[in-house]
Amino acid sequence: MTIVGFAEWLESTSLAILIRESAYGFAIVVAIHILGLTLSVGTLLWVDLRLLGVSLRSLRVSAVYRDLAPWFLAGFTVMLVSGVTLFTAFATSAYANVYFRIKIVALLLAGANALAFHVVTQRRSATWDNAPRPPAAVRIAGLTSLVLWVSVILAGRMMSYTMF
Amino acid sequence: MMTQLLSVIGALFTWIENTSIARNVAESAMLTASLSGIHLLGFTLVTGGALIANLRLLGVLLTQQSIPDVTLPAGRGILLGLAISLLSGALLFSGRAMEVSANGTFQIKMLLLVAAAVFHFSVASRVSADAQRARATAAVGLSLWIGLATAACAFILLE
Repeated sequence: MTIVGFAEWLESTSLAILIRESAYGFAIVVAIHILGLTLSVGTLLWVDLRLLGVSLRSLRVSAVYRDLAPWFLAGFTVMLVSGVTLFTAFATSAYANVYFRIKIVALLLAGANALAFHVVTQRRSATWDNAPRPPAAVRIAGLTSLVLWVSVILAGRMMSYTMF
Repeated sequence: MMTQLLSVIGALFTWIENTSIARNVAESAMLTASLSGIHLLGFTLVTGGALIANLRLLGVLLTQQSIPDVTLPAGRGILLGLAISLLSGALLFSGRAMEVSANGTFQIKMLLLVAAAVFHFSVASRVSADAQRARATAAVGLSLWIGLATAACAFILLE
């Protein structure tokens, strides 16, 4: 099955039809997706600001991460579920949309950046956990994360102006 | 008196709509989309900062740190986010000032914006001790910010 074929199948599911045809279904799911930004990127960006040594500098990096993780993980779960639901309803238009593609690439890169940080950079965290200004590798991870999430948000917003 | 005030405001909004900046925004979908994206970035900064500050007041996270150690940086984030959202929002507003200002949902959004911001910077950021008062403050603060975010979504999705 091709990607377009899969997208067309998704659009034919009852969930997709419900979203497209109910009076408020689309609006409610989009609202959840936008509100979910607060919980997901809204909290994660503070981890990134700490990694950058720009804010919350008196707190240990691991303490900021540990306390915010449940919130941004819950947030990203909300984003994933609402995002997949929206995609299901408009899969072929989304797939063809250049901003959707940019958004997905940025999302994947953000995930790769997080993985690289956890697997490589975080191993030596004992040496910089307390540092108000962490080493370059850590700051780069924070900055990369911020730039990628800004791209995701901007690309996502552009989608709604170019898809319908 | 009220009708005079409303007609002055109406004249002002009509004048704003006719400025070249406003016309550029109104006529360019790309410009509107970009400003809307920037507005959403500001929203993320504001509500994320507000969430963290109020969760600290509730005693839910970063409890090893004093309240001001969390609420002060979060407050700076809120201010930066407000600056970004207000600037992008003003530009977006300018293109459709008359229509948008008459929209009930938009009016509620503005009221909640003022209420949430004033409450945060006059009450929430002055709390320094963990106690009943901190939790009550957080409950009010969170309600106002969530109300604002919901009104904002209702405005763009249901207009």
